[in-house]
Amino acid sequence: MNKYLTIAAVTIKEYSAYRLSFILWRVRIVISVLVTFFLWNAVFDKQTHFAGYQKDTMLTYILVVNFVNSIVLGTKTAEIAGDINDGTIINRLLKPINFLSYYAYRDIGDKLLNLIFAVVEFFLIKTIFNITIVPVVNLPLALAFFATGTIISFFINLALSLIGFWTTEVWAPRFVFLTLVFFLAGSYFPLDLLPKFAYRLLLLTPFPYLVYFPVQIMLGKRLAWQEPLLFSCLWTAITYFIAITMWRRGNKSFSFWGR
Amino acid sequence: MKNFKLFFLFSRNALRTTLQARSGVWFFMIGKICRFAFFFLMILLIFGKTKIVRGYSLPQMLVFYLTFNLIDTTAQILFREVYRFRYQVISGEFDLTLAKPFHPFVKILIGGVDFLDLLLLIPYLLLTLHFAWQTHAVTAFNLVAYFVLLFNSLLIATAFHIVVLALGILTTDVDHTIMIYRDLTGMARFPMQIYQEPLREIFTFIIPVGLMMTFPSQALFNLLKPSFFALAFLISFTMIFLSLRLWNAALKKYQSWGG
Repeated sequence: MNKYLTIAAVTIKEYSAYRLSFILWRVRIVISVLVTFFLWNAVFDKQTHFAGYQKDTMLTYILVVNFVNSIVLGTKTAEIAGDINDGTIINRLLKPINFLSYYAYRDIGDKLLNLIFAVVEFFLIKTIFNITIVPVVNLPLALAFFATGTIISFFINLALSLIGFWTTEVWAPRFVFLTLVFFLAGSYFPLDLLPKFAYRLLLLTPFPYLVYFPVQIMLGKRLAWQEPLLFSCLWTAITYFIAITMWRRGNKSFSFWGR
Repeated sequence: MKNFKLFFLFSRNALRTTLQARSGVWFFMIGKICRFAFFFLMILLIFGKTKIVRGYSLPQMLVFYLTFNLIDTTAQILFREVYRFRYQVISGEFDLTLAKPFHPFVKILIGGVDFLDLLLLIPYLLLTLHFAWQTHAVTAFNLVAYFVLLFNSLLIATAFHIVVLALGILTTDVDHTIMIYRDLTGMARFPMQIYQEPLREIFTFIIPVGLMMTFPSQALFNLLKPSFFALAFLISFTMIFLSLRLWNAALKKYQSWGG
């Protein structure tokens, strides 16, 4: 167990070697949050309600989304694809550690660091722009959604990297996924603003369980949580099955010259 | 003339490289179209429930967004090679470019035309004209002013890309300078009026992404003071001048990696 915790710690230390790069990465995230934040702030300029949302609720939603994104979507698994393509993965496979656990713990390190920064950013934006934050409720239930959302995201990202076993064109599918996830997971607006048909259709995909449901549950939006939690667990199982199958098949088909 | 020939030669090579990865081409096109469509739908969604946001109607807001896409896409078409520049510096490939008997900008600035984005430019332009027409504020004079300011925006984009190239030499700590530029310009996806002061002033005049992305649309709607025309050109020429100074300074600091 200790060696895996060390992996998480080393992942955090890696960032300290590239401090400026990491800080600018967080600046980029803050810029992105500010665009969405000010857009919604402008929408509430002349009205107190918008599609059942009050201004405070909407602005809190946008800020909490940044916080949840940092936990759920932050990942180091993207580097696996490059490791497969250039053969570096062989070095990793020869070590006496479980490959998937190695990346799970790298992700934990990554998420922890991003979480710390997200908390600081949250309070900075809240203070600078004087936002009234809606109190957080349903924390235990929100944590359950957090957990399943994080696992789903991990396995999807893992599967996207494992494509590297069969092709060198690994960045393009990830680009599509990232584009989809930011909109369809509810990072820019609560998904229940969509027309009902589109919203219901979206509930069949894994995206709303990554960001939208954890945030809405946390903010106490009266959602029926049983069915979404069931779907969330179902997607956890499906994405796990896909990633593990790809990992096993990829390992069998993989070959690389000696290093 | 020699530089034009080289530009066309590099562009032909860039097209051939793009066509080598056919599945990647499709994924990137899908990703780019989705990203454009999602923001477009978000604007429609907002205006489905409200008539005006910070004084702008739906067609006006769409013209702002489409103009952002026109400028951003044109810059990506022309300056795609900038995205690969850091690798050239850290791998030592840049030495080979410097040793060639032509200006390095022919290769590192405009030497990798992105033909995928070229396909998207036509629908963006047609949609812009369509929604501009719906605002009922467009005159022939405004339209000329719009295109003149679009050209000015491309000058500013050129300056920003030269700055990114210079930073690529001055610091190897940051690996996503170009993406920071993209995020900053993304702030002007919507009119700058949505931002509070002093952010609005900062991102209009000091880091002039607002001037670059939103002035053309304001001119189209006859909302731009004549003095701002002169200011727009003054800022763009100053930026070009300063970026070239920075580039020359960076080049003097460049240390070859040898090989």
